Amino acid sequence: MSRFWQAWKRRKQMLRDQALHQRSKKSMDKIPDIPVSPELEANVTTIQRLLGSSDDLLARHFVIGPQETGKKAVLVYFDTLVDKKVIDEFILEYLGSPLDDRERPAIHTLESVRGMQKLLEYLLAGMTILLIEGKTEAIVCGTFHYAKRGIEEPQSEALVRGSREGFNESLSDGVSLIRKRLKDPALRVRLIQVGERTRTPVNVLFIEDLAPEDVVREIVNRIKGIQIDGILESGYIEQMIQDSTWSPFPQIQATERPDKVVAHLLEGKVAILTEGTPFALIAPAIFTQFYQSAEDYYERFLISSMIRLIRMMSLFVALLLPSLYIAFSSFHPEMIPSRLVIAMAAGRSTVPFPSVIEAFLMEITMEILREASIRLPGPIGPTIGIVGALVVGQAAVQAGLVSPIMVIIVALTTIGSFATPSYSAAISIRMLRFPLMILAGAFGLYGIMTFLIIIFIHLSALKSFGIPYMTPISPVYLKSMRDFIFRAPFFWMKERPEMFNPPDPSRQNWGEDK
Amino acid sequence: MSRNQSSSTDKTMSTWQLASLITSTLIGVGVLTLPRTSTERLAEQGWMAPLAGGGIALAATLLIAWLSRRYPGLTFIQYSEVIWGSRKSRWLGKLISLPWVLLYLAHLYIGTAITSRLFGEVVVTAVLRETPIEAIIITMFCLALFLCLHDVEVVSRVNELLFLLILFPVLIIGLLSFQKADWNQILPLFSASFPDVFKGAVETAFTYQGYEVMLIFFAFAQPVARKSQAGFIGIAVAIGVYTLITMSGIAVFGVDEMQKLTWPTLEIVKTTQMPGLVLERLESAFLGVWVAAVFTTISNTYYAFNLGLRQFFGRGMVFQRIMSLLLMFPLFYLALIPQNIVQIFRVSRMSGYIGLVVGLGLPLLYLAVSLMRRQGNRVKEKGKVAR
Repeated sequence: MSRFWQAWKRRKQMLRDQALHQRSKKSMDKIPDIPVSPELEANVTTIQRLLGSSDDLLARHFVIGPQETGKKAVLVYFDTLVDKKVIDEFILEYLGSPLDDRERPAIHTLESVRGMQKLLEYLLAGMTILLIEGKTEAIVCGTFHYAKRGIEEPQSEALVRGSREGFNESLSDGVSLIRKRLKDPALRVRLIQVGERTRTPVNVLFIEDLAPEDVVREIVNRIKGIQIDGILESGYIEQMIQDSTWSPFPQIQATERPDKVVAHLLEGKVAILTEGTPFALIAPAIFTQFYQSAEDYYERFLISSMIRLIRMMSLFVALLLPSLYIAFSSFHPEMIPSRLVIAMAAGRSTVPFPSVIEAFLMEITMEILREASIRLPGPIGPTIGIVGALVVGQAAVQAGLVSPIMVIIVALTTIGSFATPSYSAAISIRMLRFPLMILAGAFGLYGIMTFLIIIFIHLSALKSFGIPYMTPISPVYLKSMRDFIFRAPFFWMKERPEMFNPPDPSRQNWGEDK
Repeated sequence: MSRNQSSSTDKTMSTWQLASLITSTLIGVGVLTLPRTSTERLAEQGWMAPLAGGGIALAATLLIAWLSRRYPGLTFIQYSEVIWGSRKSRWLGKLISLPWVLLYLAHLYIGTAITSRLFGEVVVTAVLRETPIEAIIITMFCLALFLCLHDVEVVSRVNELLFLLILFPVLIIGLLSFQKADWNQILPLFSASFPDVFKGAVETAFTYQGYEVMLIFFAFAQPVARKSQAGFIGIAVAIGVYTLITMSGIAVFGVDEMQKLTWPTLEIVKTTQMPGLVLERLESAFLGVWVAAVFTTISNTYYAFNLGLRQFFGRGMVFQRIMSLLLMFPLFYLALIPQNIVQIFRVSRMSGYIGLVVGLGLPLLYLAVSLMRRQGNRVKEKGKVAR
């Protein structure tokens, strides 16, 4: 039996390896690697043939040096990708001047290529190709120019105190925002191109003597192993490299804030920046860091400790409040103080549904309202708030659909889930609320606890790149608990969090001898 | 460190994890009846029963730890054949150890059934009066099954996570109940004779049942973990909790009234009032949180059983997953065999005595054989191979 099982596993592995080998042919590999020919026109026609003569592909013929004696040359580029001013000033004007012998344009990025494959790759990345009569080398000029957004305040992670800079969609701007903050010679940037057709550049950033080598290698290998036609957002990468797909909890953190990325890099984690999205990824990620905000370290420690405590409470409110209401009102009314229970019964007397249905009705309405208000264009946004407040609040109670206390519960739940700094973590809590409500309706408090235990088991089993998700609570790391709910003052946090196994644990005592 | 594997240090348990594993396995449904069982024979001196019984449990745990130190990295099932067999004929060891191993596994299996049935009874009589007991038992089994699908490291982490959740409610209830305590009721302090204290201690055996899972779990201790220390902490916490609850039971109700209560601890909870009156009656909340304590007892025992079973047959994780699912069905019928609560109490008391044989007798026997055969350090290298 077991032998059969092993044979089966071996065969599956073999098939997977074969498939991987076959698929590793990227779409670029379909293009024949023709060498650049000395004849100008032949090259131009080859390029046009390979690119299917797109209308934005331009070939500009000109002469280097004096009009009569100079060499013939041609510039090939995509009209839509390049900075035309650069081409005019620094290539055409510069090379076309009859004064002296100039062969290479005055542009910072210059490279020579001999094969068509490489040439096309550069061309598609927004470079201009300079072909000169009689030469088997093409010169690549860095003229790329994309339209991009400026550096703005991050939308999803607003802070009261802290940097107002957020990432934009440009990869190089993102790296520059990080380099600007972190002038460490040990900061490493690794470029990986992901996506067979989009060929999206992805940068993996880490500090060499802080991030454990095996974690970095694992992350780079997983990114390299991605086989997909296109990467449009870092979410693609997150979903393809995370440990457990079926978990409701995020195992990699997404952030728009460069200061947060730097803080995590300094803790020995790895950041992944993707072209085309303002969201950087941080891995490995553990449960607690989704409930911590960059501001916790900017404010004084007592204040941030209190705020973290409030956030933890809001997590429990968002997760448990509706199901506790269901359990109390339908199974354990004896637990509610007697005066309150009379008031609740009076409020519920007109409601025709059991409390599960009542809670579901309101919670789903609330979810719809929330989703609608996100999708609505800015100026109309507040309208939905007014409509929602009217419908959910006053009218529903007066119509006898729900009890007044249910409205309070729904409001608290919603506010509680907004208090989570990370959007993806808040969503997972919102989602887990519903099975909890069903179980509370079936078994009361017993059902709630049953589901919580299931969540606990799942959280204990979950890992992010080898780090157990519930560290530092289980396994216990007493030192790291200083930065858990209580944010200790800096002179207590002289070491990096030990759970991420940083090769260099010390953070503050530079002067002292170890 | 690929997606499914983890580094070897994560696979093992730290001292703290071992201690929390012991405590949370011990503390379970037994606490709910403890004040009654311990005062049955000893009357006012009932608070001594959990102390003395804890002494027995502590001795047994230390024996188990000693045994495990002699065969590091091996579970009870694995070193059984080493102890009883010789180097050449493994099968002989397997054959001789068969009755002990089977006794141990059967004890764990039946223990799981009894605990879940008892808890089902409590929940159905005290909180969810309309719910059939089968539903409670099945949900508890599903939780245990869900845990059995995971690796051993998950067991240790779950126990670590739930440890405080188990400890807090019982400590709070114990301390809050002192508001209503009449301290005259615990007098006279010393009335029972020494043999009676010993008998009373043996009668609390069911409450202390659970340390025998360490025959399996000590094998997964980290090399640096201190097993005896873990055993000491684990049992000491349980002794503290049990003595506190028994004390407060005697002080609040008095001995005679307590004999008439089926679930005296629940009655203590009922009389307790929360300061500020946020919740008016606490027993539902207490039982709600107590699910965690009972879950750790049931699932740790069931996990140990399944792990032992799969090692007995020399199989892997897939075997454990399938067997833990299949063996749930007979377990369910086993749990429903006792006809009424009196029978269950009788069975649970019996199981406590058998637990003493398994938890104290087996390690003693094994240690004696192991010492006589001068095994131990020599087995160290062999142990790695056997694993």
